[in-house]
Amino acid sequence: MTAAPMEQDGYNLRLYVAGQTPKSLAALANLKKLCETHLPGRYTIEVIDLMKDPALAQRDQIVAIPTLIRQLPEPLKRIIGDLSNAEKVLVGLDIAPS
Amino acid sequence: MASNDAMQAARPRNEAEETVEAIHRGNVDAVVVQGPSGPQVIMLQGADAPYHVLVERMSDGALTLDADGCIVYVNSRLCALTGLGAQELVGRSFASLFIGSVPQQRADDTASDAQLRRADGGDLPVSVWMRQMAMGGVVATLVTLTDMSIQRRAEEVATAERFARSILEQATDAIVVLALDGRITHASWVAEQLAGRSPVGHMFSEAFALDAESATQQSTLARFSRESLDQALATKPFHGVEVRLRDPRMSGRSFLLSAGPLVNDAKDAVGSIVTLTDITERKRAEEQQTMLVAELNHRVKNILAIVQSVAGQTLRTAPSLPAFNKAFSGRIQAVSIAHDILTQTRWIGIGFNELLTTVLAPYGVGEGRIVIEGPPVLLEARLVLPLSMVLHELATNASKYGALSAPLGQVTISWRLRDDRQRLELIWLERGGPLVEGGGSRGFGTTLIDRVVRFDLDGDAVLAFEPEGIRCKLIFALTAETTPEHLPASAVQPD
Repeated sequence: MTAAPMEQDGYNLRLYVAGQTPKSLAALANLKKLCETHLPGRYTIEVIDLMKDPALAQRDQIVAIPTLIRQLPEPLKRIIGDLSNAEKVLVGLDIAPS
Repeated sequence: MASNDAMQAARPRNEAEETVEAIHRGNVDAVVVQGPSGPQVIMLQGADAPYHVLVERMSDGALTLDADGCIVYVNSRLCALTGLGAQELVGRSFASLFIGSVPQQRADDTASDAQLRRADGGDLPVSVWMRQMAMGGVVATLVTLTDMSIQRRAEEVATAERFARSILEQATDAIVVLALDGRITHASWVAEQLAGRSPVGHMFSEAFALDAESATQQSTLARFSRESLDQALATKPFHGVEVRLRDPRMSGRSFLLSAGPLVNDAKDAVGSIVTLTDITERKRAEEQQTMLVAELNHRVKNILAIVQSVAGQTLRTAPSLPAFNKAFSGRIQAVSIAHDILTQTRWIGIGFNELLTTVLAPYGVGEGRIVIEGPPVLLEARLVLPLSMVLHELATNASKYGALSAPLGQVTISWRLRDDRQRLELIWLERGGPLVEGGGSRGFGTTLIDRVVRFDLDGDAVLAFEPEGIRCKLIFALTAETTPEHLPASAVQPD
């Protein structure tokens, strides 16, 4: 899923989910809302469903689902959970509240 | 540097802590664990709630088996299919659900057929799909059961539909189904031919322009306007109105218009079935039958009159009862032979030669004692009976007293056409019989010949009793100038 074209200073985010579990659905919704508010036009979201291919969990050493990975900008960051605490997510992703 | 290292070392700990905390807070609903064949996703409690709802709402029965084949979960549909509660089913063996063979998982992932045991003692055909799955190191089997009775009913309905369709296609009547508004929803092949196109979607009166066959029925039909005819046909039973189609292709053809209600399962009328039966041939056959009955009546009366007359005259001339019996039987036999000929030739007529051969068969026509010579002549049907009677009288007389009564006697029958082929002249000549004594006998036989030839054959008979044998000359018309409708003269009582 791609929300906007990548830019040089953009955020490249990867969300690991497990099918359509409630937390997975909540995490995706929360993430989209947050990005649209704070990173409009500066982010991409890639959703990876581990139910379809559990082996993909190895790439980012995923333990719990949902997990959000910030690939870019570096360094890599991860946030576990349904992303319902917006403040914690903004801090975790190093996004200054606008 | 040392602080960096400390941070690096601290990071996994923090992540682990964060993971545990997220799980603890309920922020995650699945974890990934390393299984024997790579990472596996394990749902935490509650994560599969939506799937549970879906499974509970499924129209198929679903259940889960543990490694021992014991039921650990059933959905509500399975309870409905078996007629048992979930508590009764959980803990049972999978095999106990079935009558007969127990379904097994198939290598090609397809379903197999089985008979599900029901609590009411009955059974239900089901299609069973199974798959074994490793779930967090535990082996379980997922099973779905599809009620095939629904599908079988659907197949039965489809078969019935095909059956009805093929009846409609092959019916020799034009059959259309009308909705309650008079619009055609189905039409048989014949109906399409009559309409000259597919009448489906059109009002009946548009597709089939009708005229009644008779004036009285026209008034029946005229009571309806175009719209009200459609309405009446769609809603009221209609029986046996004879109609014609205005289409010039159908001119001269008669149809019987009928309509009956089409009802649904609740016995409510949902339209009607209208048939147009082509009765042209039937009407023709009826007319022909009426004509034949009248003709038969006429002929039977004639025959009865002939029999009555022959009986009366034979009685008058017969010296004794046995003599009467013999003469009367012979004459009636002649009438009978004549009728056989008429029936076999369908009252069309017969060749003269053939008539002679048939009538004279009992007197040795094939044995050389009766010689037949003459040109081919086709006799009209009306000549068959009187000629048969005349020939019978002559032959009987010859066999009793004439040429055929002696071993070497011979009869020669010769004829020719005269008067521009309008008349036939026949000579009956007997030779080789006993000497004929002067005058001969003018018994009933000769009287009958005279009368029949004169009145029925419109001709003349000259009977000469020559000493060597009888010579009889008959001249009669081959074609009647007008068709006489009176009784034959043989039926007229003598003065």
